[in-house]
Amino acid sequence: MRTLPAIFILLVLLASGAWAAPVNLNGENIYRYGILPSGEPLRAMNAAGIVIEGKDASCDPCHSRSGLGTREAQFTTLPITGKYLFNPSAWYPEDKYYKYGPELIAPDHVPYTDETLARSISDGIGSNGRELGVIMPRYELNKADMAALIDYLKNLSADNAPGVTKDMLHFATIITPDADPTEREVMLDILNRYFAGKNLVDSSKRRLSSNEIGYLVTHKWQLHVWQLSGAPETWEQQLHQKLAAEPVFAVISGLGHRTWAPVHRFCEQASIPCLLPNVDLPVADTTSFYPIYFSGGTLLEAQLISNRLAQEQALLKIKRVVHVFREGDIGEEAAKAVHLATSSDSVPETVMMALKADGAGQDLSDALKNTVAGDALVLWLRPRDIAALPAAVPGSPVVFMSGLMGGEEYSPLPPAWRKVTHLTYPFDLPERRKPRMNFPHGRYKGGKVPATALRIQADTYIACYTLSTTLANMMGRYVRDYLVERIELMLNKMATAGSFATGYYPLLSLAYGQRFASKGGYIVRFADPSGNKLVAETNWIVP
Amino acid sequence: MELFMKNQKSISNIRRHILLLVSCGILATGQALAADNIFGMKPGEQQQHMHMDMAPGSHEHHHEMAAATNFKRTEDTYTVPAVTLVRQDGSKAPFPAEMDDGKPVILDFTYTTCTVICPVLSHTFAKVQEKLGNEASKVHMMTISIDPEFDTPARLVEFSKKFHAGPQWIHYTGTSGDIVAIQNAFDVYRGDKMNHPPVILLRATPGKPWVRLEGFATPDEVIREYRKLIDKS
Repeated sequence: MRTLPAIFILLVLLASGAWAAPVNLNGENIYRYGILPSGEPLRAMNAAGIVIEGKDASCDPCHSRSGLGTREAQFTTLPITGKYLFNPSAWYPEDKYYKYGPELIAPDHVPYTDETLARSISDGIGSNGRELGVIMPRYELNKADMAALIDYLKNLSADNAPGVTKDMLHFATIITPDADPTEREVMLDILNRYFAGKNLVDSSKRRLSSNEIGYLVTHKWQLHVWQLSGAPETWEQQLHQKLAAEPVFAVISGLGHRTWAPVHRFCEQASIPCLLPNVDLPVADTTSFYPIYFSGGTLLEAQLISNRLAQEQALLKIKRVVHVFREGDIGEEAAKAVHLATSSDSVPETVMMALKADGAGQDLSDALKNTVAGDALVLWLRPRDIAALPAAVPGSPVVFMSGLMGGEEYSPLPPAWRKVTHLTYPFDLPERRKPRMNFPHGRYKGGKVPATALRIQADTYIACYTLSTTLANMMGRYVRDYLVERIELMLNKMATAGSFATGYYPLLSLAYGQRFASKGGYIVRFADPSGNKLVAETNWIVP
Repeated sequence: MELFMKNQKSISNIRRHILLLVSCGILATGQALAADNIFGMKPGEQQQHMHMDMAPGSHEHHHEMAAATNFKRTEDTYTVPAVTLVRQDGSKAPFPAEMDDGKPVILDFTYTTCTVICPVLSHTFAKVQEKLGNEASKVHMMTISIDPEFDTPARLVEFSKKFHAGPQWIHYTGTSGDIVAIQNAFDVYRGDKMNHPPVILLRATPGKPWVRLEGFATPDEVIREYRKLIDKS
């Protein structure tokens, strides 16, 4: 009868997760950050005979967070997860392209033991008794720390990724409740047709063009649409619940309108790649790993405007910068970013003209009535408000406008304003990107995509294409961290490949620690009182 | 070029081996076409080359490692294009004038988020600077970023502080086009920034040839090359 309480305690422990394997924090800190359990930095000698320490000596930058390695020029950093270290190179049925991965193990790989692995880390002698290449540092680790690191490697990327079955890859796309309905339809149209295209083709019969040779991903794709509802404060919880109910391998594309921050936090907390959503206000977080964005959006525009103000404030005799935005919309944060960046400059005064979120038209005209010469207006407004600007420009301000928010070259900016407004334009110019707009996106509902959603269509397609090309490069190693790492490499290749692969952007590029693929923009103005023709006032600027 | 393998389920062992051989053949020719590609080790390649894979087909980069050094030394002349790069302090730097102030130049190409090759080069530059001591001010140490869009002047300043770069060691950025042009001039452009080779270049004075150290020269080896250059001139 004494077993009953014991069983009860056991059940409670199991339920509470206390039975889960403890996270090897010591090993993780050594691997990712080069910090020893003592708090001292990890030390090693590099290829040039120099002692390096701390993050410089850590494993993650070269062997990647997933432990599956990377490649720079002719230097391959091999996979160092337990699976690849301790097993012979064999024809694994479940990893049948084991031998042919971009970072491969030698066919005559001798499996490591704990002892020979420790020796390779400290003395650079491989499991076959031969010296490792010079690019691998030689490490200084005591027995306990070495054991912690080896234990970490044994468990690294060892679990099967969620959302991956024998023949299906599950992906989710996330849509905020305030997303524009037309953009939502256009995005889902692209996603559904791309996914259908992936599943239609019998992969064993697939015809490949000469530059599309790749590892055939025989898995089909399934899309889960995660439509959020209610207040942003509830989104994270909704997403965690959806993920628990529908495990997915990664999040692809997606659509926001105002804040995206709760989604960004979810991606990082759930350790799930969130690839290239359609958001104009991403989260600028240098510590996050999983969310990847096309560009800094309005934050990038804020930098372009800050730079311009700093350079031209004297020339343009600007005495006061007036930011005009709707409360709670993405312009507010961008305006604050400009204010922060210019507050120490010679810009004498900044006014935050916050209009009520639900205001309409007249409040905008009223707010602008007191504009005077010497003012620089910065319009962080959506097309609806842009269309409601007074016909005549009050005062003689210098006017900047967010091209992203205001409708890009389709903005309903009134003619009088077109003469004086400088738009930030964080894309390639329309005529320059035109040759790239031939991506095979098919016909949207048999007709034309509304102009306001053209960029969403292009970006969604590029996101899918990036995912597809990257998966083909992963050699069946469906590890979430590895997906992020391969995208870092793949985007560079896509950019140099030409064709449609960069879409609206002149260049898409990432690297270790980089999460914004496009980094610059133009300042443009409208060429004519009406129509979509733009004139670039600057070259491509990277602020 | 990545390997193309059909679904193997229905292929017999013999056909699998044939497919393997054919694929290796495709690979070998594909290597000659694809500049950015290291793929596969030929059966029998030694494990010691695992971390320094040779690219079949690019024999001009084949390292015949001299005993006890990890680099290959050649001398070359390069024509530096007329481009204007941007120094880490944001000021404009016209080339080739920037390199032609008469001082010896020690040059490399890196980017701040590079993880495998560049840190070795940057640490080496830092040690070279340290070993030169007061003499460092007589040398123009130059590091040109090959990821100019991420490596803004502000980022370069932060990066150079990490390596305690003195005023004689300047980091450069610029437009994508100009950065590609100058990489091409020094034969270090390989398309994708992640394919860049590890190279340190030294020149005594304008008009003299450049010494090219491809691989990982130690700081002492770089200093030795530097001394040979200035002794000659």
